[in-house]
Formats: sequence, structure tokens, C-alpha cells
Amino acid sequence: MSAASQSPRISASGLRMAALLLFIVIYTAYSAGPFVWVASMSLRTTTEIAANPYALPWPWHFDKFASAWLDSNYDTYFFNSVSIVLSAVALLTIIGGMAAHCFARYRFRFKGVVYFLIFSTIIFPPQVTVIGLFQIMVDYGLYNSRIGLVLVYVSIQLPVTIYILEAFFARIPKDLFEAARIDGYSEWAIFWKISLPVALPAISTTVILNTILLWNEFLYAVVLITEDDKRTLPLGVLRFLGDQLEDVGMIATGLMIAIVPVVLIYVFFSERLIQGMTAGAVK
Amino acid sequence: MTNSSPPAKKEKDHANPLGAITTFLLPALLIYAAFTALPVLRTFYNSTHLIVPNRPAEWVGFTHYVELWTDRIFWKAVWNTLTWAAVAPILEVTIAILLALCLYAKVPFSRVLRVAWFTPVLMSYVVVGILWMWIYNYEWGALNTMLRGLGLESWAQPWLGHPDTALASLIAVTTWMWTGFNMVVILAAMSSLPSEVLEAAELDNCGWFSKLWFVILPLIRPTLLNLIVLSFIGKMKVFDLVWVTTQGNPLWATETVSTYVYKRAFQWSTFDLGYPSTIAVVWFFIVLSGVLGLTFLFRQKDKLEY
Repeated sequence: MSAASQSPRISASGLRMAALLLFIVIYTAYSAGPFVWVASMSLRTTTEIAANPYALPWPWHFDKFASAWLDSNYDTYFFNSVSIVLSAVALLTIIGGMAAHCFARYRFRFKGVVYFLIFSTIIFPPQVTVIGLFQIMVDYGLYNSRIGLVLVYVSIQLPVTIYILEAFFARIPKDLFEAARIDGYSEWAIFWKISLPVALPAISTTVILNTILLWNEFLYAVVLITEDDKRTLPLGVLRFLGDQLEDVGMIATGLMIAIVPVVLIYVFFSERLIQGMTAGAVK
Repeated sequence: MTNSSPPAKKEKDHANPLGAITTFLLPALLIYAAFTALPVLRTFYNSTHLIVPNRPAEWVGFTHYVELWTDRIFWKAVWNTLTWAAVAPILEVTIAILLALCLYAKVPFSRVLRVAWFTPVLMSYVVVGILWMWIYNYEWGALNTMLRGLGLESWAQPWLGHPDTALASLIAVTTWMWTGFNMVVILAAMSSLPSEVLEAAELDNCGWFSKLWFVILPLIRPTLLNLIVLSFIGKMKVFDLVWVTTQGNPLWATETVSTYVYKRAFQWSTFDLGYPSTIAVVWFFIVLSGVLGLTFLFRQKDKLEY
């Protein structure tokens, strides 16, 4: 290869490289820019933001976090979200684990029908449940109740949880169960002492996935909860927006309080989280 | 799987676990019956009744369905939602393929980029909605500030306030959220491709575009189709984002079926849960036929190709 024949190729690939880099830079700005902006605003006062919405935060007003937390019922919303999400996730893990174990290990009549019924709900538009659910919750006395919301959350995440766990349980070698049975384990002990511990990776995947999705859930919460002291964080943030309409700096702080826990979970459990979110998508 | 032992064992297997099966399945079935099946049936029942507070439900036959047929807001909402569900999957998956290729080609800082691109999907729509309302703000929003900075003053406009741009602006937001997710899935599919195939393409002196078009994309086809269906289903449900940002305004330009159902059921003082239930039921069948149609279409194509 002579230098003459090589130089056009280099410039062509150089051009391609430049286009690629430009694409990456633009997309990254589009993707991450909004976070950088809201993070910087969360540390600035509204007066500073009004003067220039895009300046760097200086000095850092960390005290805004304290006042957003204390003056706007954020502690209540946060506590509600934490307790509702944790209870729902705990129930989901046990109930979903039991059902998944059952699907993976036993053969029984109507198994296909039950399986189909539960999984067909994945494509249901939520509108088709939400009105009936509202009436039923009023009938049950579970309207405006945190326990009611927990049960609803269990029901909406149940199909995905069973789906992920069942796929994992089905791969546990049958010999393990046979050995346990010969050792005199009861069916329940087999589930509790063998299936669950062996499936710990899959379980942690569903736990993290459910935590994030329910932490962000809005539609069912807005329909089923109207009392202020029972609101979850997304409802609280929206209410906060209504109260502070012009106070952009304060709302930015409120948004950051909602963003940070999710980002922390992502930082610590990114692989598990990605596994959970993509579980249904890879064929 | 030996053939000698099963009969006796199977009988035992069947005799014993019936109790266990019931125990294991019962909690899930109860939750399913009480909080999914029953509400759905109730909604179907509602759709042929007039449901007004403090009065027994009144059978009205298919009156709601007839009314729905001429409800122009409903059809506008259907049109908007279908537009969303048709455009967003294509945008998301196309951009995601390009992004995945960048990471697949091992550009520098891949790990950081993956985090930056994936993070939006983790946010709650409430947070995302407020954030993007600011970005689209006419006076000080990031988009208009940028346009003005580039000397395109005349392009600056109230993005969510104008009927022509509102829906497109919201589609850009869901694309922002979901592209990174699609990218991660596609990257996983690409990484699991057998390296021999790519090396063979390399030997044949394939250009990068033909390598992508004739080798990589056909191989990850099932994943791509799956992502398109998933994104389609997600967009047919879209509620939170619209509710937080525009509530269907301006002039029904961003009204989706979900927001319309919510308005008719819980916001407008019509005090009737029957009509919104009818919308939900009709919408249920539209979504169902959409999903079945897409699945059928993709199957059909697969058959033709092989």
C-alpha cells in the first residue's frame, strides 16, 4: 500500500470518527444535560436563577434541602413512599416467589390457563383496571389507605416478578429437589431452604426492579390517595409544584430529593437493575 | 430422564403436592382475583351502566358505546396516542441501535456514557415532566435559550403551549427517557453474537454499513421486534407525563386516551363512571388488536424471509 492510496482512506475514516464523536457529544448533552441543570439549580436560590438560569451554583445553598424537607411535608411523603414500597416489595418477593416456584416445579391441571391469565395482564392498559379498582377499593374500605395501595402495587408487579423468578427457578437442577426430598424436607422447606437461597441473584433483581418502578408509580397513587398525609413522593412533588409555582429554585431542590435515592440505587446495583429492566426484552 | 422409574414416582408426585400447589399459588391468585380480575370485570360491567354516586347502577345498554362513536375528543385522543405509539418506537429503536454501535465499537468512556444514557429511564414521570416543562419554557427554557444563542430567534416558541408542537415535544421526552434502555438491551444482544460471524464478514471485506445491515441487524432481529412491541405497549398506556405537563392541552393536542379516561372519571363533574369505563373497554380492545396485529405482522415477515 502506497501512501497516496492510504491518505484518502484515513481522512474518510477521520471524518467518520468526527461525525461519530459529534453524535455522541450531542446525544450525551441531550441525555445528561437536564440532570446537570436541575442539580445546579437545586443549589441556587430563585433570585440567582432568575438572574441567570444557567450559571454555576456558587455559593452552594445546601440549606435549601433542609427547608424543602422540613417546610413542605417532604418527610411525610418520603416516609410514606419508603414504607409502602418496602412492604409491597417484601410481599411481592414472597408471594411471587411462591407462585414462581409452583409454576417451575409442579405440573397440574389448568397450569397453562392460570399462567396465561396472569401474564395477559402485562398488556392490559391500566385504564381498564383503574376505574373498577377505584370502586372496589371504596367498597373494601381501602380507599385512601396505605395498606390498600400496597396491595394494589403487589398486584400490578406480580406478573413481571413471577416471570423473572420462574425463569430462574426452572433452571435449578431437579436433582437438588430430589435429594432434599429424600432427606425428608417438606415441600415448604424445599421452597424456603433451597429454591429461595439458590435463586438469590434473581430475587435481588426483582427486588431492585420493583423498588424503582413502584417508587416512581403515579397513576394508581393519584387515583387511590387524596389525603395529604398519605401521599407518596411523586404525589408530594406534584403538590409541591402547585404550592411553589414561581419558586423554581425550591422545586429544583424538591426534584433532587426525589432523584437522589434512585440514582443511589442505580450506582450500587446497576448490573442487577439493568438485568431486571431488560429481563422481558431479550429473546 | 430414565424410562424405568417414572410411573410409580409420578403417582407419588401427583398425590402429595396438591396441597403444596394450592398453598404456593393461593396468595398470588387471591391478589390477582381481588385487585386485577375483579376490577377489570367491574369496568366491563360499568360500561353498560350509568354509575352515579349514591344511586344504584342503571342499565343503559350500549348507549355509552353509541355516544363514544361520535365523541370527537375521544377520537382525537385515540389519534394522538396512536401517533405516539407509532412514532416513538421507531425513534427509540433507531437511535438506540446507533448508540449501541458506538459502545460496541468501544469508544472511550463507554461505561460513563452508558450510565449517562440509561439514567433517564429510572426517573419518575413527575420529575421528568417538571424538568422538561422548564426546558420547554418560552422565556428561560434551555431549548429556546439554545436556539437564541444559535441565532435562530424565530424558531423559539412555547413548545408545550402550541397545538402544532406540543405532542412532538412530549414524544421527544419519552424518547429521551427510553432510548438508553433500548440501547442497553440491543448492546446485550450484539455482545452475545458469535464472533465467528463478524470475523467472517470482516474477511469478506464487508463495509461497516453492510456489516450492520446484512449481518448484525438480521441476527438481533428478534430483540429489535420485541423492543418495538414493548415500546408500543408502553406508549399506548402513557398517562403520567401528559398529566404532569399539559393535562391534554392545548386544544386537546396532547390528550391521550389515558388522560381522557381519568378526566371523565375523576375530574369532570359528570359523576358518571359508566362512560369512562366504556372508553377503557374500547381502548382495551384497540390495544389488544394492536399488539396481536404487530405480533402477527412480525411473524408473517419472518416466515417470508426464511
